Amino acid sequence: MNKIYRYIIAAVLVLFLGYKSIYFKKLSEVKQLDKSGFDYDAYADTLYNKGILSEDMGVGLDELMFMIQTKPDSAFSIYGNRLGIGNSAYFMVKGNGRISAVQDGSLKILTEKGESVTLDSKYIFGNDLRDASRLVKLTDFKTNAEFNKVSEALNTLVREKVIAPTVQRLREGDKISFMGALKLNRKHLSDIEFMIIPAQITLQ
Amino acid sequence: MTVSFNKEFLKKSQSLIALFLLCLVLSLLSDKFLTGTNLWNVLRQISVNVCISVGMTLVVLMAGIDLSVGSVLGLTAALSAGLLKNGLGFESLDLFVGFTVLGGVLVAMLVGLFLGFLNGWFITKFSIPPFVATLAMLTIARGLTMLYTQGMPISNLGSSFEFIGSGWFLGIPVPVWISAFFVLIVLFLSKKTTFGRYIYAIGGNEKAAFLSGININRVKLIVYGIAGMMASVAGILVTSRLNSAQPNAGASYELDSIAAVVIGGTSLSGGVGSVTGTVIGAAIIGVLNNGLVLLNVSPFWQQVVKGLVILVAVIIDKINQKKD
Repeated sequence: MNKIYRYIIAAVLVLFLGYKSIYFKKLSEVKQLDKSGFDYDAYADTLYNKGILSEDMGVGLDELMFMIQTKPDSAFSIYGNRLGIGNSAYFMVKGNGRISAVQDGSLKILTEKGESVTLDSKYIFGNDLRDASRLVKLTDFKTNAEFNKVSEALNTLVREKVIAPTVQRLREGDKISFMGALKLNRKHLSDIEFMIIPAQITLQ
Repeated sequence: MTVSFNKEFLKKSQSLIALFLLCLVLSLLSDKFLTGTNLWNVLRQISVNVCISVGMTLVVLMAGIDLSVGSVLGLTAALSAGLLKNGLGFESLDLFVGFTVLGGVLVAMLVGLFLGFLNGWFITKFSIPPFVATLAMLTIARGLTMLYTQGMPISNLGSSFEFIGSGWFLGIPVPVWISAFFVLIVLFLSKKTTFGRYIYAIGGNEKAAFLSGININRVKLIVYGIAGMMASVAGILVTSRLNSAQPNAGASYELDSIAAVVIGGTSLSGGVGSVTGTVIGAAIIGVLNNGLVLLNVSPFWQQVVKGLVILVAVIIDKINQKKD
């Protein structure tokens, strides 16, 4: 008898936990609901095609470096986007060069001025592209999570639809032009590592 | 009489004394160490290792080892995050199964328990040494995590989930409550139940335990299951704190966990040790990590220091064994 009670209690507990753990909906309704909310994919698409790809977006890498060496304060205030209180700022830079190596999804580029640049074409994550564009403000969104969803959608678009198909076609020795986000630290400008999160790579 | 009592007391309390001395030295070297914010932060960080380590303690008490806990943590964390965020969709049935926070947590714990059982099953059924069986699980679980996540983090899991790792309850961080809850359960299990005595008996002398009628395989299966489940609880804490499941979450956590167990006085040859000792061991590692960061010690040196501490703990353990 005791065993039966034990089984009943266990069954009730499992049912209760199950009821509190999962819920069911029609898949079509869920998909519809996703679309009726703020469409981050569409927002990212517009941001990319009409904002980041616009002609006046980005500063030449050589021009930026010259300015960093001569007038660093101006370079940071004119071209950089600094969030919060840190020393780091994001810059949208563009340049040309030849691919010197393709390593584990990243491209090593030798620019026309002999600068060695890495395009991290595999790991396009974080807020680098969004912040380097200087087109999206935190105050445009209610929460940090919503603000970050813009990055997520933008990164996915650039990573999967723009960069991945392009990188597949690229080989060592190819001449390319690129645009992407570069993070610079105001306190460490003497030894800059040119690690760029690409927004666009074009085979010349 | 008094002298031998003092010696016994000192031997039993050596981890606690080490923790006290460490805190004393760090509070003298850094004025930030003894601030409330820092101490709560340390406790929050320790919670993760405590959860893994109490499970590991039971395994080590049985003279076993579980190298897979870090990978199990990563896999269960990714699964719960994935289910929480995306649910399960069945196109042909036009059915969507969504998961609440409780659902995500329960799935993680069940999967952790299952993977632990698998470890135990391989060890008992095929007599594979625990080191090898759990090493295989380490690789399998990490590979499955990478497959499931495609090597990318699963982020934005909602504020309710985030509360588990970042929230406060009655002025104490939620992870501290959770780890304390599990510590008490495992402590009770190991000290106040027959099952707990079986664990010590197996670790002390497996053959004698077998001859006295203990179902060794069953005990091992359950203990490895508990270790897997505790790893999944730690996974929930890590994921909710970051509000994101990282594909490499938990990498090398097994080492910190084994270190906590050893520093806490549990003998790697089994049969001797306690959960409370492990909690102190985890605290020593947590405080040491925190202190070295506060003192601006290079991360490379931090690893060297941690390694030396583990070495000293094992040497002390060996000396004690010889004396006994």
